[in-house]
Amino acid sequence: MSQETTGLLEKYASEVFAGLVAPALEGMEISAAPADDLLAKEDVLVRMERELKRALEKPASERRWVMVIDLRKCIGCHACTVACVAENKLPPGVVYRPVLEEEFGTYPNVTMKFLPRPCMHCENSPCTEVCPVNATYHNEEGIVVVDYEQCIGCRACIAACPYGARTFDFGETYTEQLPVIFDGVLIGSKTAAAYEHASQEYGQAWKREGRHESPVGNVRKCHFCLHRIKDGILPACVTTCIGRATFFGDANDPDSLVSELISKPNVIRLKEELGTEPRVYYIV
Amino acid sequence: MAKKLIYALGVLTLLIGLWGFYDRLVFGEQHVNYGSAVVWGLWVAMYFFFGGVAVGSFLVASLDYLFEIKAFEGYGKPALWTSLVTLAAAMASIGFDLGHMERIWKAFVQFNPHSGIIEDVWGYTIFGVLALIALILALRGQKGTTLKIVMVLGFIAALYVAGAPGKLLGNNATRPYWHMALLPLQFLFMALTSGAAMMLLVQAFLSPKEPAPLATLVLRVALIVLLILSAYSTWAFFSQSLYGNIPSLIASVKQLTSGQYAGLFWGLEIGLGTLLPLVLLFVPDLTKNKLAGGLIGLCVLVGNAVARYLIVVPGLNVSVLKNIETAHIGRGLTLSYSPSTIEWAVVSGLVGIILLALALGTDYLPLYKKEA
Ligand code: SF4
Ligand code: SF4
Repeated sequence: MSQETTGLLEKYASEVFAGLVAPALEGMEISAAPADDLLAKEDVLVRMERELKRALEKPASERRWVMVIDLRKCIGCHACTVACVAENKLPPGVVYRPVLEEEFGTYPNVTMKFLPRPCMHCENSPCTEVCPVNATYHNEEGIVVVDYEQCIGCRACIAACPYGARTFDFGETYTEQLPVIFDGVLIGSKTAAAYEHASQEYGQAWKREGRHESPVGNVRKCHFCLHRIKDGILPACVTTCIGRATFFGDANDPDSLVSELISKPNVIRLKEELGTEPRVYYIV
Repeated sequence: MAKKLIYALGVLTLLIGLWGFYDRLVFGEQHVNYGSAVVWGLWVAMYFFFGGVAVGSFLVASLDYLFEIKAFEGYGKPALWTSLVTLAAAMASIGFDLGHMERIWKAFVQFNPHSGIIEDVWGYTIFGVLALIALILALRGQKGTTLKIVMVLGFIAALYVAGAPGKLLGNNATRPYWHMALLPLQFLFMALTSGAAMMLLVQAFLSPKEPAPLATLVLRVALIVLLILSAYSTWAFFSQSLYGNIPSLIASVKQLTSGQYAGLFWGLEIGLGTLLPLVLLFVPDLTKNKLAGGLIGLCVLVGNAVARYLIVVPGLNVSVLKNIETAHIGRGLTLSYSPSTIEWAVVSGLVGIILLALALGTDYLPLYKKEA
């Protein structure tokens, strides 16, 4: 595109745009925020990371991890879903944090609602009650975890979860169909598999080799990225959220961001009527 | 002739099953169609079905060894053998369904006493041990107090495990189709029905003796009563949801009455498994013919197996959270389910094992030898 054309477009396009928005802005006072101010403002991630470190100084039983998701800010980009898959090396069919979508209205009055759904880490969790071998339980911080070496793979906990938050690992991989030629030179199945299999969930190195090695044959679910939290790093979904719609922290700390957020009346929890007491809150 | 047929069928179905067993043991759960939405499928339904037959057969044995009803003399040992064989098939079926069947020992050592599965595991184990002891005592001809005590305990255990699967499913409050107080009772009726039907089948195709007319009459009347009770409990179970007409509560029931499972429900569970046997059982001359009795038993058993499937799958193929099934795609995340060929092959193998074990038991165990 020539410089001349670009100049022309800039001129007329901005004029057309100005013509469109001007009536709506009539009477409004508009001022642009100085760039310096924007840069000076602290990103919520920095604040949450600082609060996370503060919480880790307390005994584990005194922390109450909660997640807050601002549905007004969520744009349905699914970055959190993908970040979770990458962080936890989730195989096909295993999803910890899908984003549920719902469409309202009819064209042209249409709108979408997005609902990211991690595990709710219910305080009264139906999933832990039904586990025959105590393989899924609340850890000392109240997070609902799964002990892969203990789980017999009966899937009773999936049937019991009211939020559909658990999935079963059938042993599939994304990489097994990749070519093996030039393996290790160009990326091949073995090299790719090495990335895919090296999960650090629960602070342990899971090789997940073969058809029978845990977590294959186990039920898997969101664990609030415990392996990151212990090192003072926020869960992957929180740091990846481009709309800054997901917050995480200690609700037992009255000065934390999450405590601030969940004290407002526009906060809900899913299926509150069941009495499961989820630790995931939604701002609506 | 009838027994040869059983042997032939047994070998054929087992051969198909060997492929299923191999695939499951080598490739894990790669080739099954149940998933993370419909978490239980054909194998769990068959676990409930075979377990029900085991319990029902034990209760038939108790007519001989516990209640000492003269008409049932000689039925005890074949009924106990049938009970043990079908129980083994039930355990194998649920074993194949587990992601880590090799860890089942944990259910005895590191168990959660609140879990419905634990009640099932322990209940079936105690029941199985008692049935085995009873059979050994009976085979040795020791029909004394010890056998009586074992049969009393076994009777209690049998009644308990007959309804336990209903409780296991029912305590999932998030699944309205299962969360009904009637479900354990329905399982009990179905177990009793399948036990009586199995006996008609065994005496028709395997027993070297002519069936006792009085016992046949009792089995016939019992089956009529039990079929009516089963049908009634199904109606009571469904009507609670249907008359309320809350869409989310009737989603499962509607799949049976007018949805994707209407053919299976009306055709096999109600038509072939309930109405046809009921009509035929009212024809006295027909049930005196042991072969006809056996075929009636077979119809009831098919209907009974289908009924278990129609309890398990429609309870799971409904969404627990709006739009969750469309939020992600991937293996096992869909709400639609039909058993894979491997799942069918494994069930075929289990049926083969049952048929062969029953036929071999008839030939090589003194099941029909008169006790002193
Ligand atoms: S959301 Fe489901 S899996 Fe998570 S704690 Fe609650 S019941 Fe358990
Ligand atoms: S699948 Fe594993 S964690 Fe879930 S109930 Fe069964 S044993 Fe427990």
